[in-house]
Amino acid sequence: MSAAKTAEMEYSQLREYSGREDSLTLVTDQSTDFEAALAACAKGDRSGLRDIFDAEAGRLVAVAQRILKRRELAEEVVQEAFIRIWTHAHQYRPERGSARGWIYAIVRNRALNMLRDGSREDLVAEDRLETMQDGEQLEQIMAAWHRLDHNSRLKECLGRLDEARRRGILMAYVGGYTHGEIAGRLRLPLGTAKSWIRRGLLTLRECMA
Amino acid sequence: MKLSADNLSHIADEYVLGLLSEAEAAEVENEIERNSALANAVAEARERFLPLDTNIDPAAVSPDLWDSIATRLPEQATAAEPSIASVSPRVPMAGNDNARTGWRATAISAVAASLMLAVGLVWSMARVAEPLVVAVLLNEAGEVQAVVEDFGNDTASIRLLTDFNVPADRTMQVWTLPSREMGPMSLGLLEDAHSARLSGSTLPKPQDAQLYEITLEQAGGSPTGRPTGPILAKGFAKLAR
Repeated sequence: MSAAKTAEMEYSQLREYSGREDSLTLVTDQSTDFEAALAACAKGDRSGLRDIFDAEAGRLVAVAQRILKRRELAEEVVQEAFIRIWTHAHQYRPERGSARGWIYAIVRNRALNMLRDGSREDLVAEDRLETMQDGEQLEQIMAAWHRLDHNSRLKECLGRLDEARRRGILMAYVGGYTHGEIAGRLRLPLGTAKSWIRRGLLTLRECMA
Repeated sequence: MKLSADNLSHIADEYVLGLLSEAEAAEVENEIERNSALANAVAEARERFLPLDTNIDPAAVSPDLWDSIATRLPEQATAAEPSIASVSPRVPMAGNDNARTGWRATAISAVAASLMLAVGLVWSMARVAEPLVVAVLLNEAGEVQAVVEDFGNDTASIRLLTDFNVPADRTMQVWTLPSREMGPMSLGLLEDAHSARLSGSTLPKPQDAQLYEITLEQAGGSPTGRPTGPILAKGFAKLAR
């Protein structure tokens, strides 16, 4: 039900919300939309890709920008990601998770690849460390957790973790930080940071199971 | 990275969080194709963390973003991989099986051609040539591993600058990405993990900033004609001047 609530909120931001259907219908409709849109892409119908773009491009750019920090790089990532969505739509399998999650994963992977790609001089680790010091990005990272719907299971389970474990997990997922960067930021030895994250993830899986 | 029933969920989590090394992530992407338990664990992890992304305030998107996507969309039947690093084994589209067979045939004939041209290499070596581009390939830690000199005349020289530990049933394969449309193309195999001159790949003239990469593939080279194994080293070319 918490998931339904979240999806409903998003849906109402997404389009004119008539308010007549109940939230479950909306959830179903929404997931069907993305699946159908991917199926259309696989058949070579560009309107499928356009539907995904209209519904999600703003959020996808924001997600990529949260990782890469720069708008023009984020748009470059989203542009490449939509081409990959188009060329790989036929590989999407509904039994392997939601279409929306598949779409976000493509954008995330491309953003992380760009971030880790040593050829981008503007994104080397030293720069990131300096920028991190202003704490702005960290604030943004923690905000992703605070913003979760208060009924959200993820919010509750993250809230039960120790502060450092929660931060480590959020820095990785939301900000695209590596183990090394997380260890540096939390002032922990690398091995300790890795094992804290490992245990945090285990606790999270058990809590959300 | 050893995958077992015990650590499968954890590896899936770290994959979704982006905490795996590039080689490990590539391994997961390959393994996912045949390991449904891993595929399910990855799907579950994705759904678990997805709300952190979907609850973000949408950015104002540049008005021309859609147009720049739309003008770059390939026709579906000839869809190309957008980059080497993100490549995974290609699953043929229904009704597109013959395209894959064609691909295989091309790959096999390319291997045959490269063998033939290797013989002719002794002759062509006599001619002095300058490389068009040079790429220094680095490992994930940023250490120099190899240098590629691409002569643009179907010949590239790969100099290994470190010892690679290649298992008996594996081989090193050299790739380049001439363009997104073409996708990654094999330059050839490095037998016994030695420096070599590779020849016979009829590719477009190498460009500045073209991506070169060495992956670890099964003996005889990648079965798909695309990189499938972990990346040992990669780098971008610079024009020799």
